[in-house]
Amino acid sequence: MIRVGVIGYGTIGRIHSEAWREIPGCELAVVADVDGDRRAQAQHDLGVDTASSLHEMLQSCEVDLVDICVPTYLHEELILGAVQADKHIFCEKPLARTLVEGRRLVEISKTYSKKIGIGHVVRFTPAYKKMHQSVLAGEIGQVGVVRTFRGGAPFPAGWNDWFADYELSGGVILDLAIHDLDFLRWLFGDVKRVYAKSTRGRTSARLEHALIVLRFKNGVMAHVEGNWSNVPGEFYTKLELAGKDGLIRFDSRETDPIVAKTQNRAEIGAVAVNPYRLELEDMLEAIRQDRAPAVSATDACGSLEIALAAMESARTGQVIEL
Amino acid sequence: MVVNVGFLSLAHMHAYSYAKALGSLDHCELVGVYDPDQERGKQGAAEMNTKFFADPSELLDQLDGVIICSENNKHREWTELAAKHGCHILCEKPIATRMEDGQAMIDICQEQGVKLQIAFPVRFATPVRQVKAMLDRGAIGEVLAISATNHGQMPGGWFVDPTAAGGGAVMDHTVHVADLIRWFLNREFVSVYAEVDTLLWDVEIDDCGLLSMELEGGIIITQDPSWSRPRTNPTWGDVTLEITGTEGVIQLDAFAQNFVLYDDRAGKITERSFGEDMDFGLIQDFVTMIRENREPSITGFDGLKAMEVALAAYQSAQEKMPVRLG
Repeated sequence: MIRVGVIGYGTIGRIHSEAWREIPGCELAVVADVDGDRRAQAQHDLGVDTASSLHEMLQSCEVDLVDICVPTYLHEELILGAVQADKHIFCEKPLARTLVEGRRLVEISKTYSKKIGIGHVVRFTPAYKKMHQSVLAGEIGQVGVVRTFRGGAPFPAGWNDWFADYELSGGVILDLAIHDLDFLRWLFGDVKRVYAKSTRGRTSARLEHALIVLRFKNGVMAHVEGNWSNVPGEFYTKLELAGKDGLIRFDSRETDPIVAKTQNRAEIGAVAVNPYRLELEDMLEAIRQDRAPAVSATDACGSLEIALAAMESARTGQVIEL
Repeated sequence: MVVNVGFLSLAHMHAYSYAKALGSLDHCELVGVYDPDQERGKQGAAEMNTKFFADPSELLDQLDGVIICSENNKHREWTELAAKHGCHILCEKPIATRMEDGQAMIDICQEQGVKLQIAFPVRFATPVRQVKAMLDRGAIGEVLAISATNHGQMPGGWFVDPTAAGGGAVMDHTVHVADLIRWFLNREFVSVYAEVDTLLWDVEIDDCGLLSMELEGGIIITQDPSWSRPRTNPTWGDVTLEITGTEGVIQLDAFAQNFVLYDDRAGKITERSFGEDMDFGLIQDFVTMIRENREPSITGFDGLKAMEVALAAYQSAQEKMPVRLG
């Protein structure tokens, strides 16, 4: 039985906590949050012990695995705290806010005796996984140009509105577009250069739209679009991969098997497979089998580096070579 | 306990997907295949990496459960043989081609103490199960109306032979939707009106149909079972239900989880599923039923009631009048 402590009970912390409770062979033992209302909420939702900090969590409760679901700029501090306590660590993406932090964590992970896994969940979504397989199986031949889109939902509201503070969150590129950057890196390897633009700073409206052009070392070019919107709408993603022998197209809006509307609320697309559960199950298996988790700190740092390069390009107007 | 399973006839192509599911289940062995068409049987057995039996009784003696994938009009004959050998049965849909055959199958399985399950795999599609759960918890209030489609491509082969298949598109596809609706709502069909004809293909059997039905309690239902998907359709067909309730609506498109693959080498566009494999769910359920000695989740009676709707559609089309059931 692996005992899990979740730290941070915001959007992702809730999703993870619910998934941990469904997974056999582990026990969600404790949820920590600095906010008293959220601790009360966790207790109400899950009936588990709560703590107000990582330190208190580790003092009051025996846990084997710490699942870090706090804002990006706090990742390094909490990962270091969990390392000091010699715990297995799962951390929500992105790995860190800066490359210096990311690289420090990679160095530590190389000699750490316990597992560190990073939550790049798109790798666990059935659609993206299948498309990844299809490309690797050569079904569209050698890939030339790729387009991705991720967005459509309102600008996120987080704890203390941290998403709106670019210094803390890195904006839509580091928080959202990084999903596709990681997916593409998983498929095509390292990026050679990046040129990107963002609406950040052009408007006081609560939105950000980023347009990123990537060139991979293997020659593939990719257009990556990330969006936090200020008009009401549903989140969706698109992926198009064009190869010498064919094309793959995906639009999540066309693949919802269930659309339900009721008088009280709209309930759309019950998900057949919960990809969050799959990524957490992979982490447990990695611990049990003493193997690397699906996404290591090194992998996540590679994706972080691309995102930070895109942010730098958007800020400076320069082409960034990696 | 290892559950030993085999096939009687590979006439229906679902056998190959069922064999794949058997292969990925633990504590379950595909013992062999019998097929009166020796060539097809031998080739299929090789493909499934199992043994071909020239004598069905020799195979049945080694089995706990058998999957019947013959032509529809042979379901009764094989069910009777399997039941006499004490084998539990998973029979491809429709249960038979005539009510008396379906009833005889139910009766002999009861007499011989074997379980008879009908293969309605769509019940095991994850989105379908989610809709069932939504309806069970009253998410959209009382159901008032359902508009359904189960389109397909024209399958050819024995499916267009009136004797072997017992009916064309209407027989082939009505039973799936009729079964889903009976399962969703726990109500029986009370009337069926249908337009049935051969309009799209050069075949001796119906390829188009539109059914208008009523369930107990006055729930109104239409269903389009036509083989109306052209050769260039990117996938085999669909199962969709638009369900209107007193407090909401549910649109189900059971096989929407696809990406599109444009394949220049093959010269075609296909939809690739990333949903879960419903055939695996069906086969797992069948094998578990045998191991745990529980009742089938989809009974012979369910199969009979679904076929009754299809047969009523043919009768209605002949008489140009709605047919009352029950």
